[in-house]
Amino acid sequence: MSALASAGMIRQLEAIGPFDAAACMNCGVCSAACPLGIDLLPRRLFRYALLGCEDRVHDASGPIFSCLLCRACEANCPAGVHITENMRVLRHWLLQEGS
Amino acid sequence: MTAAPLPPQEGASDPGATPSKRRIGVYVCHCGGNISDYVDVEQVVAAVKADADVVVARDAMFTCSDATQQEIAQDIAEHQLDGMVVASCSPKLHTLTFRSVARRAGLNPYEYTQVNIREQCSWTHTDDHDGATRKALRLVRAGVARTRLTEPLEPTAVETVPRVLVIGGGVAGMRAAVGLADLGLEVVLVERAPRLGGWVARLGTTYPHGADGGALVLRLDREIRRREAITVLTGAELVAKSGTYGDYQVTIHTEAEPITFSVGQIIVTTGFDSYEPAAGEFGYGISGVLTLPEFTSLLKESDGPITHEGRPVRTIAYIYCVGSRSEEHPYCSRFCCSAAVHSALLAADRGEEIRQYHLYRDLRTYGKNEAILTESRRRGSLYLKFADDQPPSVSHDGDGLRVTVRDQLTAGEEVTITADLVVLVTGMVAGKNPKLIGTLKLPVGRDGFFNEIHPKLRPVETVVDGVLIAGTCQAPKTVAESVASGLAAVTQAAAVLKRGVAELDPQVAVVNASACTGCGVCVDACPFGAITLVAAEGASAETGTAPVAGARTAVIDVAGCKGCGGCAPVCTVDAIDLRGYTNAQVRAMIDGLLVGVAG
Repeated sequence: MSALASAGMIRQLEAIGPFDAAACMNCGVCSAACPLGIDLLPRRLFRYALLGCEDRVHDASGPIFSCLLCRACEANCPAGVHITENMRVLRHWLLQEGS
Repeated sequence: MTAAPLPPQEGASDPGATPSKRRIGVYVCHCGGNISDYVDVEQVVAAVKADADVVVARDAMFTCSDATQQEIAQDIAEHQLDGMVVASCSPKLHTLTFRSVARRAGLNPYEYTQVNIREQCSWTHTDDHDGATRKALRLVRAGVARTRLTEPLEPTAVETVPRVLVIGGGVAGMRAAVGLADLGLEVVLVERAPRLGGWVARLGTTYPHGADGGALVLRLDREIRRREAITVLTGAELVAKSGTYGDYQVTIHTEAEPITFSVGQIIVTTGFDSYEPAAGEFGYGISGVLTLPEFTSLLKESDGPITHEGRPVRTIAYIYCVGSRSEEHPYCSRFCCSAAVHSALLAADRGEEIRQYHLYRDLRTYGKNEAILTESRRRGSLYLKFADDQPPSVSHDGDGLRVTVRDQLTAGEEVTITADLVVLVTGMVAGKNPKLIGTLKLPVGRDGFFNEIHPKLRPVETVVDGVLIAGTCQAPKTVAESVASGLAAVTQAAAVLKRGVAELDPQVAVVNASACTGCGVCVDACPFGAITLVAAEGASAETGTAPVAGARTAVIDVAGCKGCGGCAPVCTVDAIDLRGYTNAQVRAMIDGLLVGVAG
């Protein structure tokens, strides 16, 4: 099933708070640093958010809410992405959506 | 080295073997060890030293080194040498080096012969030192034999016409015309279309500085009008070219009548065509699927929120590399990544809520254009990368256009975008100019663009003497790159024409008029049309022989002759000689190869 991109999602996220996922350069250090080994790489999740693939983000609510917000990923991110802040924005958006 | 001592040249002391006493210097090079590891250089020197007419013979570690060049020059002065042989590498590498040594020392450069004992002896016969040494001696003796018969030659000076024909009135040709006029040269600028300006005239805002394409062309147009030295012919085409280097006669068809005039150089700036996608290629043909030029003109010709066919445009998908880097067009078109990214910035200016997706294979916003890529990302453009073998597909459904792509930046997942517009980022293809190619004999590459002699060091010259190329007729280029190459062509044309004379290689064919029977076989053999038959009276007046009534004789135009030698062997009475490679010299070289070396 193809992931459907939508134009509106990124504006909704940015309305909730700063969402700087576009700075992500797809390196994957975040995943290597994650103590929980969350099965959805932040980089992939952020691409869904940027592209506006709402279904894919809904499907990822498990990993999004299991995140410890420990910032191990953020401390190691070479692009300086505020990963945990972005996670909070995504949680907020999911709650707004009522899922 | 185990080679037996080399015998002296047989008959070397026979005065009949040499038509005149010459004073020849012979230099045999070690080339580090490139030659001397296989060829016994000292033996070759010792053997040739005893030969007739050889006044000096030496070996040198590197003959091309400054120190050895200096020694040779001293020898020329001290021993009053009138001939010189260097046995070293390929003549392609160092003929000009040693000719210039000769010239500096007061010896005519054409009294010099280069013998290749590296490529032809040491590198070829690494398993046979003795054989390589003997072969080297044979070649050196052939070189000496040729040198015995050399004569001083001077370049032929031809007066050049201080006028340049520029073909193609796009931005490269227009800028070249202005540059040439500013150097004091006359210019005739010929454009096939009814007006100057080419592609750039049709562009709106251009990257990177936002200059308006039409305004750029207007500015150049004003500069052209301000210069009396520039004649503009629009609706005009070159139909014929003749003449010789620096003085070509060209005929231009205009709407009125054909004009013929002389020019010293020709600059071709005929530009490109935009790639036209096939029907159905990435949905081309469906309403809302546009090429890049169609999209930029939509942006140029409207303002306010972007609409297409009355419907607002909220989402745009760009597909890159359409018609470039393909099997049919394997090159990158250079300008299109930056142009598309720049268009996205222009679109964003028309309403920040527009969502823009860029589907690319590789992004080449090279050099300073990287900044506009960063800016477009900052302003919300999203980039999706697809693999070469997984191109996106475009279809139409009720809501609009659906673009589906496997995005390598989202773990190769298939993403579907619903778009109001799909922009196919189309590249450049070679312009269609079959008549011009035929008239000028332009060298066309496999990709259809014109070829330069050397991409780095001779980027605007072609193998056709006096014909230069610039702009996008050569390869895809940006506006800035086109203008730069146009100005490079200006320099190259002016370098020839500002001297007023061009110097041509004197190693051309000459006719012995007293022997010529006027049969005309050579006329047909000449690929350059440099030989004509004239009434024999004029020619025989020079030679002092009695003319035969009605007889004709061949005359070779020294400026038209390229010294290929094609005419010499077909002459039925051996009346044609190639200067520097005369029949007598070639015979002497063969004799030199055959005599005197046992084995």
